[in-house]
Amino acid sequence: MLGAQLALNAVALGAAYALVAIGFVLVLNATTAVNFAHGESVVAGGFAAVAMTAALAMLLPAGSAIPGIVLLPGVLVLTALLGLAIAALAYLPIRNRPPVSVFVTTIAFGIIVTNGLNAAFGAAPRAAPALLGTGTIDFLGVTASRQSLAIIATAALLIGALAFVLQRTQLGRQFRACAQDPEMARALGIRLTRITLLAFALGTAFAGAAGLLLAHQFFVTPSDGAGLILKAYIAVVIGGWGSLRGATIGAMLIAVFEVGVASVSSQPLAEGLLYVAVLLVLLVRPDGIFGEPQRLRA
Amino acid sequence: MSPDRSPLTRQSLPLIAGGGALAIYALFFASSYDQRILTLSGIYVIMVLGYQFIFGHAGALSLAQGAFFGVGAYVTGILASQFGTGFLATFPLSIAGASLLALIVAVPVLRLASHYFALATLALSQLLLLIAVNWEPVTGGANGLPGVPPITIGDWQVTRGTQLLLFVWGLAVVAMLIARWQRNPLRTAMFTVMRDTPLAAPAFGIDPGLLRLRAFMLSAAFGGAAGALFVHTNRVVSPEVLGFGIMITCLTMTVVGGRLRILGAVIGALLLTHLPEWFRGLDEYYLVAVGVLLLVMVVFAPDGLASFVKPFRAVRAPIGTPTRPGTAGRTPPVAPGLPALEISGLSKRYGGIQALDEVGLSIGAGEIVGMIGPNGAGKTTLANIITGIARADSGAIRSAGLDLATATPTAIARGGIARTFQTPQLPDGLTVRDVIETAAANAGEAARDRARAAGAITSCDLTGIADVRSGTLPHGLRRRVEIARALAGGPHLLVLDEPAAGLAAAEQAEIADILRTIAAAGPAILVIDHNLEFLRPLATRLACLDAGRLIADGPRDDVLADTAVRAAYFGLVTAAGGAA
Repeated sequence: MLGAQLALNAVALGAAYALVAIGFVLVLNATTAVNFAHGESVVAGGFAAVAMTAALAMLLPAGSAIPGIVLLPGVLVLTALLGLAIAALAYLPIRNRPPVSVFVTTIAFGIIVTNGLNAAFGAAPRAAPALLGTGTIDFLGVTASRQSLAIIATAALLIGALAFVLQRTQLGRQFRACAQDPEMARALGIRLTRITLLAFALGTAFAGAAGLLLAHQFFVTPSDGAGLILKAYIAVVIGGWGSLRGATIGAMLIAVFEVGVASVSSQPLAEGLLYVAVLLVLLVRPDGIFGEPQRLRA
Repeated sequence: MSPDRSPLTRQSLPLIAGGGALAIYALFFASSYDQRILTLSGIYVIMVLGYQFIFGHAGALSLAQGAFFGVGAYVTGILASQFGTGFLATFPLSIAGASLLALIVAVPVLRLASHYFALATLALSQLLLLIAVNWEPVTGGANGLPGVPPITIGDWQVTRGTQLLLFVWGLAVVAMLIARWQRNPLRTAMFTVMRDTPLAAPAFGIDPGLLRLRAFMLSAAFGGAAGALFVHTNRVVSPEVLGFGIMITCLTMTVVGGRLRILGAVIGALLLTHLPEWFRGLDEYYLVAVGVLLLVMVVFAPDGLASFVKPFRAVRAPIGTPTRPGTAGRTPPVAPGLPALEISGLSKRYGGIQALDEVGLSIGAGEIVGMIGPNGAGKTTLANIITGIARADSGAIRSAGLDLATATPTAIARGGIARTFQTPQLPDGLTVRDVIETAAANAGEAARDRARAAGAITSCDLTGIADVRSGTLPHGLRRRVEIARALAGGPHLLVLDEPAAGLAAAEQAEIADILRTIAAAGPAILVIDHNLEFLRPLATRLACLDAGRLIADGPRDDVLADTAVRAAYFGLVTAAGGAA
């Protein structure tokens, strides 16, 4: 039954990565901006959970366990605020400059977050509480980790809620309109700045939620951002630039790759091979596997 | 092209005085700790100078500069500490190692644009960091390798303090001289054209791939050299040298100092190495302040601190005698009687639209052919295929022995075919002369190129505004600059895509005059336009495209009287089915 457990672990990891990748695509679609602070947003979510746990522990009687799931609303709100800050300080002031400018300002924002967390919490790995307790339960004859199941359920809930908003509400239609043609959307009276702020808030909150989900089993360290943005990016490149469904599939593939390679060798090797894979994918398909929609015209 | 620079101008005096004062302080008054910080500044100057090539001049966000620095550091660290190899061998090997890595990854990475390039270089950096931490037998793992000896050349051991400081800054000066030599005004202008108008660069003989490769290799070589000096200063090599921190430091120095100028590298490196000393009170939050600084600089002063110091390059001396316009120095490669352009059976389909359908056309030397047709008839597609920007699905297209169907846009431009664009593609920051000289410079011989550029400036009547920045020019003049640029390469065929669009009647007449003079000197001209007021007095021969098919080609008056042309172009069809 080792295979089933591995598969469950891979799906749980993939579900968390999917949240990161979806958050990345939300910002990308609304603004065409590549947010390099996205990895740090995941880290910020993890540390928000760590900090809230410490604060709650002071209020509650000693020894009482705090389930991670109660931290989710707080993590979402805090990282949404972080997203608004990224939009207001690192994107909106320079939205009309060449894309490289936004790359650099969001990198700068990432530096601020990383080093702020480093100064406040130290460089050592920290862990957030498990979502709904630790241990295993028997599920369809398979011994499954409670944490893995809880991660999958939480991620599914968040992704489902997002899909509902995007598909069934007026706001979602505006979002999709901006993604397809920002100029036309603006001409139709959609307030681009509002949508931009919302996209950053929502996208960063998804990253933050992933931070909470990952920070129990894998710990969280202030310097994790670079690795996480790369994984989100790879997922988006594999899945097709700008596609939410593709990003989810890409995230799952990365997780399966990572868990699979790590189970037969080591974690660093899995990560290293993943980076080699990126370079190879870009060698074969310089525009990503499904290509990038062209907005440029001579 | 060697620009004439006056050795000293008034503006450079404060800089020289400041540099001198800093040097006196560093050598005679600085504590050994201060000297160490200044040594580090010198090392970073070299790294940043390299980074300016790829980030500043080529305009690509590379996140691999830290990786090149780290490779240089590990090559020296491992060879010097484990095998006792001397500096004269390790230093060149560090540079070679970093350059080799750049060359290897250039194949998958350099073709990538924008964020793909940034993330691919980030992946490379992360990969190298993983290797350094996990390949313990060779790299010493997370702890690294101690015992890197000081720099030794023959019997001279460079001691810490003043000697090392002088040695490092001596190499930094060498790096500045190399950078200055590599960034001569012409190449700097070419980088600007490639960065700001990527579409136009290959159309004027600039090879973007080659320029980017040069920038990337130089950045790697400088980074490797800096890394080697860094481990000799620290006497230990550890994964820290491959960490993201060094990359961030380099990026911040480049943005703060300025991404294009040598002075920017010096200002950025000196400032960022001394900031931690001046802001000790911030403690652990110092790096947060660095992030804030980087953010603020990009938003409020994107050209860096160096942009507040005027460039101390003297105005260029007057250029030589202009060669005769048109022929402009290059012998027309077309033998008399041979067509300048020969097209047959050319077809191109975009999805469901047949943009070109079995088009055939032949243009002789000195001929002006007007290509008319309604919007969407395929005129611009034809121009794009002639210049190699788009590829035909089928058909033959040749010019003076060159097969245009397979040649790259750069090769086509160098083969003597020049074009203008519907929307002028001029980098705002370059002067008219710079723009034209970049196009003239693809034949290689500098003096002749400059004379040809001067000829193009004269023949398009731009002498008075040759040193004005393109960004400040009104639309009509921008169109003329585009024509002059097309002429500057000494082409035998000019393809002009709506050269008179958006111009007043008087300006149109001026353009027509210029084109007639050019054609009289030899080159053939294909003018795409639908403005008959402009074309009628200019072109003796007209061709008409409609829905991708060439429906007429011949003497102007015959074509204008043609039934099909009138139907397609003017929409004039009588009830009897004939022309009105």
